Amino acid sequence: MTKILLLSRNPRTSTWVEALQGAGFSVETKEDPKKMASEVLERLPDLLILEKSLAPELIADLIFALKENLNLAFLPILLILRETSDFEDELPIDDFFFESANGDEVAARVKLAFARTCRIADNNPLTGLPGNTSILKAIQQKIDSEEEVAFCYVDLDNFKPFNDRYGFARGDEILRLVARLLSNSVQFHAGHRGFVGHVGGDDFVFICPLESVEQICQEIIDSFDRLVPHFLDEEDLERGYFIAKDRRGQIQRFPFPSISIAVVPNYPGKFKHYGEVASVAAQVKKLVKQQPGSAYFIDRRRGPYQVSG
Amino acid sequence: MDETKRKVKKRLRNLQSLPTLPPVVTKLTKLLGDDNTTALQLAKVIEKDQVLTGKVLKMVNSAFYGFPRRISTVSNAIVLLGFNVIRTLVITASIFEMMQSEDLSLWEHSLGVAAAAGLLATKLEIPNPEEVTTAGLLHDLGKVVIRAEFPEYQRQIASLIKEEELYTREAESRVLGLDHGEIGRLLTNQWNLPERLIEPIAYHHEVEKARRFKKETAVVHFADIIIRAWGYGSGGDPWVPPLADKAWKLLRLKEKDLEELMPQLDDRLLDLRFFTMEMQGGGLDQNPPSQS
Repeated sequence: MTKILLLSRNPRTSTWVEALQGAGFSVETKEDPKKMASEVLERLPDLLILEKSLAPELIADLIFALKENLNLAFLPILLILRETSDFEDELPIDDFFFESANGDEVAARVKLAFARTCRIADNNPLTGLPGNTSILKAIQQKIDSEEEVAFCYVDLDNFKPFNDRYGFARGDEILRLVARLLSNSVQFHAGHRGFVGHVGGDDFVFICPLESVEQICQEIIDSFDRLVPHFLDEEDLERGYFIAKDRRGQIQRFPFPSISIAVVPNYPGKFKHYGEVASVAAQVKKLVKQQPGSAYFIDRRRGPYQVSG
Repeated sequence: MDETKRKVKKRLRNLQSLPTLPPVVTKLTKLLGDDNTTALQLAKVIEKDQVLTGKVLKMVNSAFYGFPRRISTVSNAIVLLGFNVIRTLVITASIFEMMQSEDLSLWEHSLGVAAAAGLLATKLEIPNPEEVTTAGLLHDLGKVVIRAEFPEYQRQIASLIKEEELYTREAESRVLGLDHGEIGRLLTNQWNLPERLIEPIAYHHEVEKARRFKKETAVVHFADIIIRAWGYGSGGDPWVPPLADKAWKLLRLKEKDLEELMPQLDDRLLDLRFFTMEMQGGGLDQNPPSQS
């Protein structure tokens, strides 16, 4: 059953709960914001309704933690507001209603919020990160605004043989690991100026301000290399490699998965179209891939994009 | 007694959150208020509290967050969860409403065991000594559960220890039907923590029961004894637990090793003493515990 967590001390709470239950939802009501927040982090509901005035700062913290750090963009969050002036557009929420709302309105808004999240089909189901459409949009928008950002194309080395040896479930854990590392690093160093997307499989893209790209890349690489042994079996760790089939079906030794980042800086006038960025990234990727282990490589060419011969 | 045991187990399954010591939360809140605070600085403080450490590890190893039984150190957990999540977790931490001297001395004991276990693990060249440090910090988590969740039983345990001169775990078994090692095992298993943490926590008094992480378990067992004998903090009774033969054989420590280790441990404990004093000083000013 779809579980809604409702934080409210509003006298109308019971009528809202009744209407929501009537619409087939299971509702849990909390009055203490702190208890609610700690419980949300431990047991996620399917939708959150929060009376913001009960603890404005804590609620803002919680919303950012859920929507940005944990990539829970699909978890709908509704706020209960006193008046229109309470509305803040920087909070990544899905909808709001006023304290005076009646039960039918609340139930309708909740249904609409669920319907809306189903429509955001672009997000990657495994990592919750935005997918291709959003990535291309984000790249094009940076090109058009001529911001000095870095477009970073991430992929893993030896991921296919890893999947072959350890199975897809373990492979998915590695992909979630990468998603978390990218989001947390970009979020911490670039905040709202950053973007992280998941193209699919082991391909990711992130965008960050040019001045922090080296720091972010190095941090991602260090964390990845430190964490990846936790996803390997003891016997392979002791040997220092794992055994799997290569592309031609031959049994072979493989080094542990590592992470490669191809960095393409955006200078004003360098690119016109996102397709150009992708083709430069493909060239840079070849260079990164030549290096053993985890690495990043920055394309230092400043001039406008030219079709290479 | 079986009835009590069932009750305890049931309560463990529904355990919401354990209280943290006020000074630790005060210190963290101060750090969180500073925009320049790094994840590493936060990790350094969180790593000094068994309840918060348990909470962070529980979260990152939960099925939802996607890394069950994989992550065993706070610094790795922070990298995966991100700053905002840790922040929310600290802000929502519940604190001991009444901080008693026994709670403080159990905290010091746990810190001491963490330090000793880390040094021993490094000396014995166990891979990832940081994990053994974490296991040392968490080894008495079961005692925190008893104190926080079952104060009435805790009183009975304390008086048994005093009147009959029992070891803590004997008194616990008599009152509850299970001891703090078993409680720690049930809880950390329920939290999906990695086996390399669970075994040392569960079997730090029964090293022979460890299966996959014998050496790590033996290290925590021995670290516990060293710190008890040292008189650093308190584990709840005045007796030093007996050294298990099996553990001693597993460790293969030579007298020379111990001679080298002791001064290092001495330094480490002195540092910790300064840390706990600073925390208590800072914490108590701003957040006086209610006196009875």
